[in-house]
Amino acid sequence: MGIANLQSIGLVIDILAAAILVTAFLIVSSRNLVFYIRLFAIQSLLLGVVALLVVVGYGEMHILIAAILTIVIKAVAIPLVLTKIIERIQVQKEIDFSINITVSLLLCGGMVILADSVAQSILSVQRPDIPAVSRVLSVSIAMMLIGLFVMMTRKKALTQIIGLLTMENGVFLSGLSITYGMPLIVEVGIFFDILVAVLILGVFIFRINKTFDSISIDLLRSLRH
Amino acid sequence: MSDWPQLRLLILIVTVTGYSLGALLPPILSAIGRSRLHSGPAFDTFARNFGFTSALVSSLAGCALSISILLAGEPLHVEIQNTLPLGGMAIHVDMLSGFFLGTISLVGGAVSVYSLGYATELLQRRNMGFFLFMYNVFLLSMVGVVIAGHAVLFLFVWEGMSLATYFLISVEHEDPASRRAAFLYVVMAHVGTALLVVMFVILYSFTGSFDFATFKGIGSRLPGVVPSVVFLCALIGFGVKAGIVPLHIWLPEAHPAAPSNVSALMSGVMIKMGIYGMARVFFDFLGPTIPSWWGLLVLILAVTSSVLGVLYALMEHDLKRLLAFHSIENIGIILMGVGAALLFVSLGHAALAGIALVAALYHVLNHATFKGLLFLGAGSVLHATHTRNIENLGGLIRTMPWTSFFFLIGAVAISGLPPLNGFISEWLTFQALLLGFHIPDLAVKIAVPLTVALLALTGALAAACFVKAFGITFLGLPRSQHAEGAHESSPTMIGAMGFLVIICLVLGVVPGPVLFVVNSLVGALLGTNAAGQVSLNGGLLFVPTSALSSVAPTLLAGLLIGLIAIPVAAGLFLGGRMQKRVAMTWACGLQRIEPQMQYTATGFSKPIRMIFSTIYRATHEIEISEESSPYFRPNISYELKTESVFLKYFYDPALTLLVASAHLLRRIQTGRIQSYLAYIFITLVLLLLFAR
Amino acid sequence: MTEIAPFIAVSLLQLVMIVILAPLVTGIVKKTKARFQRRRGASVLQPYYDLAKLFKKEVVIPPVSSWLFRFTPYLAFSSTLVIALLVPTVVAPVPLHWMGDIITVIYLFALVRFFVALVGLDTGSAFGGLGSSREMSIASIVEPAMMLAIFSAAGTAGSTNLSVIVQKLSTTPEAMLNPAHLLAFSGLFIVTLAETGRVPVDNPATHLELTMIHEAMILEYSGRYLAFIEWASQMKLAIFLALLSNIFFPVGIATVLTPWAVGIGVLAFLFKIGVLSLVVAAVESTNAKLRLFRVPELLMVAFILSLLALILYFIIGS
Repeated sequence: MGIANLQSIGLVIDILAAAILVTAFLIVSSRNLVFYIRLFAIQSLLLGVVALLVVVGYGEMHILIAAILTIVIKAVAIPLVLTKIIERIQVQKEIDFSINITVSLLLCGGMVILADSVAQSILSVQRPDIPAVSRVLSVSIAMMLIGLFVMMTRKKALTQIIGLLTMENGVFLSGLSITYGMPLIVEVGIFFDILVAVLILGVFIFRINKTFDSISIDLLRSLRH
Repeated sequence: MSDWPQLRLLILIVTVTGYSLGALLPPILSAIGRSRLHSGPAFDTFARNFGFTSALVSSLAGCALSISILLAGEPLHVEIQNTLPLGGMAIHVDMLSGFFLGTISLVGGAVSVYSLGYATELLQRRNMGFFLFMYNVFLLSMVGVVIAGHAVLFLFVWEGMSLATYFLISVEHEDPASRRAAFLYVVMAHVGTALLVVMFVILYSFTGSFDFATFKGIGSRLPGVVPSVVFLCALIGFGVKAGIVPLHIWLPEAHPAAPSNVSALMSGVMIKMGIYGMARVFFDFLGPTIPSWWGLLVLILAVTSSVLGVLYALMEHDLKRLLAFHSIENIGIILMGVGAALLFVSLGHAALAGIALVAALYHVLNHATFKGLLFLGAGSVLHATHTRNIENLGGLIRTMPWTSFFFLIGAVAISGLPPLNGFISEWLTFQALLLGFHIPDLAVKIAVPLTVALLALTGALAAACFVKAFGITFLGLPRSQHAEGAHESSPTMIGAMGFLVIICLVLGVVPGPVLFVVNSLVGALLGTNAAGQVSLNGGLLFVPTSALSSVAPTLLAGLLIGLIAIPVAAGLFLGGRMQKRVAMTWACGLQRIEPQMQYTATGFSKPIRMIFSTIYRATHEIEISEESSPYFRPNISYELKTESVFLKYFYDPALTLLVASAHLLRRIQTGRIQSYLAYIFITLVLLLLFAR
Repeated sequence: MTEIAPFIAVSLLQLVMIVILAPLVTGIVKKTKARFQRRRGASVLQPYYDLAKLFKKEVVIPPVSSWLFRFTPYLAFSSTLVIALLVPTVVAPVPLHWMGDIITVIYLFALVRFFVALVGLDTGSAFGGLGSSREMSIASIVEPAMMLAIFSAAGTAGSTNLSVIVQKLSTTPEAMLNPAHLLAFSGLFIVTLAETGRVPVDNPATHLELTMIHEAMILEYSGRYLAFIEWASQMKLAIFLALLSNIFFPVGIATVLTPWAVGIGVLAFLFKIGVLSLVVAAVESTNAKLRLFRVPELLMVAFILSLLALILYFIIGS
C-alpha cells in the first residue's frame, strides 16, 4: 500500500474517531433512551468502518472478521434487542440525574484531557506510520471513562447497559489503535460474551420492571430487606 | 527645559496645597457659621463651594502633573530627610504613578464639580465642614499613595485613605446598615494593611531600607520562597482594597452606603489603588524572574471575580449595589490582563506581557471613567426620586432626559460595546489572551481558552445586567410615586456627567494618544522588549501576531453613525415621507397598559437565575396574608434571597473559629488578683531560670 | 488603498451580496420548511414583497416609548451594514479588513441586541420585557460557545482578522478536512441557530408568549421601522451563513481581483449559502423547539464541541 494511501486512510480514521467521540458526548447530553440506542448503533457502525479501514490499510485479515462481527452484532443485533425491551416496558426518558447534564458534559470534557495525557505517556515511543494513532488512543481511553461515568451517574438500568457497551467499544478501539486488534479468539469470545450479557440483562430489566414498575436502580436497594 | 523639574515640583505643591486648604478651611468656616445665627447658612454654602472648588483646582493641577510626567518620561523625585520616623520621606512619581495620578485627577475633578450640585441636599442635614475635610483628605491620600516613594509614607497615606473612607461611608450614621457597612469595611481594610506591613517589613529585612528605589528589581535577589511570600502578601493585602473574590464582601455593603459622589470615587478610583499596588510590587519590585504559578493564580482569581461579580450583580435591584458588584467584575477583567502579563513574563515572553498589561491599564482608566459616570447617574436618580430600588422606578427618561442619556452611554461603555472605550480594552484583553495560545506550556494552553470563554460570558452577562438596570429604571411607565415626582438634575451635576461622557467617547473613538502613552509606560515597567507592541498607525490599532489583527476605532465609529444615512435614504425612497400615528401599546385587549403590567427587575433576571441556579442557590418565600375571603387575596409577599456563598462557607467558619479560640483564651482572665499576680510570679521565675 | 475604484467596487459587491440576498436566504429557508411540511409554501421572493409592503405602511408609535424606539431600527440596520463590510463573502481580503476583526463583528451584533432589548422594555408592555429577558439570557450563554469556536479557527490562522483566516485556509485545502475544523464547524452551526433565533432555540414564526423570544421584543414595531429590524435580522442570518461557509470551507473564494475569479467567487458563495440554507431548514423542520431551560444544555454541547476541537488538535495534538 502506498504512503499517500496510508495518509488519506489515516485522515479518514481521524475524522471517524472524532465522530465516535462526539456520539459518546451526545449520549451524555441526551435524555431520550431511544436516542441512546440509535447513537450506540451509529457509534458501532463507525467503529466497524474504522476496523475495515485498518484491514484495507494494513492487510490484517483477522480484523476483518472482528469488523464484520462489530457491525452485525453491535450495530444491528443489540440495538434491535434493546429497542424491543423499550417497547415492552414503555419507558422513554431518563428523568432523574445525580449530576445534571451541563456539569456532566464539562466533566467529560475534563476526562478527554485526562485520557489524552494518559495516551501520551503510553505512546512515548512514537509510531511513525499512523500519524493519528495517538488521537485514536486518547479517544478510546476517553470513551472508556465516559462509559463508566454514564454508568455511575444515570439511574435507569438501560442506560447502564449503554454505558457498559460504550466502554467495550472503547476497549475495542484501543486494541485497534495499538496492536492492530487483539487475537481473533479473544475478539470472538468478547463478542459472544457481550451478546449473552445483553440478553440476560434484558431479561433482568424486564423482571425489574415487573416487580417495581420502573427500571430505576435506586429501588434495587429495597431488595435488601 | 531646565526648569521643567521645578515646574513639576511647583505643580505638585499646588496640588497638595489645594487639597489641604480644601480640607482645613471648610470646617473652620462652618464652625464659624454655626456660631453665628444669621449668616450661618451663607458660611456653610461658601464652605461647600470653596471645599469642592479647591478640590477641583487640585485635580486640574494633578492632571497637568500627570500629563507632564507621562510625556516627558522622566520621573519626578523629591526627598526630604528625617521628617518621618524610620527614615526619610521620598516622593517618586514615575510613569506608572503618573498614569494613576491622571486617573485620580480626572475622576476626582468631575466628581468635585458634581458635588457642587449634589451636596446641597447633604448640606441641610450634615456637618458640611467635616464632610469636606474627609473628602479632601481622601483625595489627597489617594494622590499620596501613587506618589509615595518610601514604604512608611506609603503606609501612612494608605491608612489615611482607609480612615477617610470610613468616615465618608458612615455619613448617614443613623442607619444601622450604614454603620455596619463602614465597620466591615474598616476591619477588612486593616486586615489588608496588616499584610502590607508584613510585606514591607520582609523587604526591609532583606534590603535594610524602606525606600522604593532600593526595592526595584529585588525579586531576583531574594532567596528561596521569600518572593512568593511577598507576592502573596501583596496579592491579599492589595486584593482586599481592590475587591477580589473572596475578599470582596465589604464592597457591596460600603459602596451603596456612602453618598453617591463618594461611591463614584471609591468605585472609580480607590479600588484601582489596589491595582496600582499590585503593579508596583509584581512588576517593579519582583522583577522579571517569577514562577508561572503566580500568573495562573491571579488568572483564576480574576476569572472567579468577574463571573461571580456579574452574576451577583444580576440579582440585585438596588441600583448602587448592582454597580458595586460590577466593580468587582471589572476588577476581575483588569486582573485577567495582569495575570496574563505575569504568566507571559514568567515564561519569557515579555512582548506578549506588554500587550496584556496595556490592556489591563487601559481598562483601569476606562473603568474609572464609566463607573464614575454610572455612579454619578445613580446619584442623580437617588437625588431626584429618593429611592435606590429600581423596582419602584421607571419612565425617568422623560423627566430626566440628560441624566438618562448619560447613563445610557455609561451602560453601553461598561458592556464593552463599540464604539466606546470599554470595547477597546476588552478587545485588547482578548488579543493578549489569544496570543498566549501559541506558548507551548500545557497549563497555559488550557487556561487561555477557558479564560477567553469566561471573558465572553462576563461581557454578555454585563450587557444583560445593564439592559435590566437601564431599562427598568429609565424606560416604560413609572412604577411608583417616587418615580413620577422626579426632576432633572442641576446643571453642575449634568455638566460633570457630560464631561465624563465626552472622555468615554474620546477614549473609545480616538484611543491613540492615551494608548501610545500607556505603551511607553509598560515599556518602562517591563523592559524594552515590551514597548511598542500595541501600535497605532494612521487610525489603526495594531497587535502583532503572525498576521495582522487590527481594529480602526475612528473609522468604525464614523461608519456606524454615517451609514445611518443609508436606511434613512432607503426609507424615503421606498416609502416616501413617514406617516406616524400614536397608539397605545398592545395590552392584550385591555384599554391601556398599567405600570404593574410591565416586567420587573426580578422577573427580568429570572432566566439567568435558573440557568445558573447551582451558583445562586436562591430561596424564595411566598407569604399570602390572611384575608376574610378566599377569593380575593390582595397581599402576597414574595421574598427572594440568593445565598451568599462566601459569607456562609468561608467567613462564617473563620469567624466562628476565631471567636471560639478567643473564648478559650479568655480563661486566663479569671478576674482574681491572685491569678494575675501568680502569672507575673511564674514569668519572673522562668525568666530567671532561662535567661542566665 | 492605492486604487480607489476596485476598493469601492468590491465594497459595494459585498454590501449587495449581503443586503440584497438576505431576504432571498430567508425565503429559501421558509420555502424548504414548507416543503417539509408538505405544503407548497410562499414564493422564495415573498420576503421582498413583505419588506416593500412594510415600507409603504404607516408607523404606529406608542406614547410610552422614547427616542430609543425611533432610533434603534436605524442603528440596527447601519451596524449590520458595517458588519457586512467586514465579512468576506466573494472576495478575500475585503477592502476594509483592517477596520475590524471577528471580535469586532461579535460585539457589533451585541450592540444591536442591546438596543433592541432596550426597546422591548421601552414600550412598557409585558411581552417586550419577556423577549428582552429571554434574549439577553440566551445571548449570555451563546457568547462563550461562539468565542471558543472562533478561537479554534483563529488559532490555526494565528490572527483574528477574518480575511486573513479565510485566505490562509483557502491556500491549504486539505486543512479543511481537519477534524478540529469539523468539530468547530458543528459548534458554530449550533451557535448560528441560537444567535439567529431558529428552531430549536426560538421559533421565528410564532407570536405566542410561551414560545417567542426575538419576536416579542419587536412586537410593537410597524411600518418601515419593522422593515428595517426584519431586514437586519435577515442580514444577520446571511452573515452567519457566510461566516460558516467561508471560515471553514473557503473553496472558490476570489483572492485576486480578476473578473473570472470574482465570477467564480460569486457562484461559489451562492452555492454554499444555498446549501447551508437548506441544511438550516432541514434542521428546523426535523427538531422541536426546546424548552427555554433546556437551551443551556444545547449550548453546552456546542461549547464542548469547540472545546474538543481545541483539546484534541491544538492542546495535545501539536
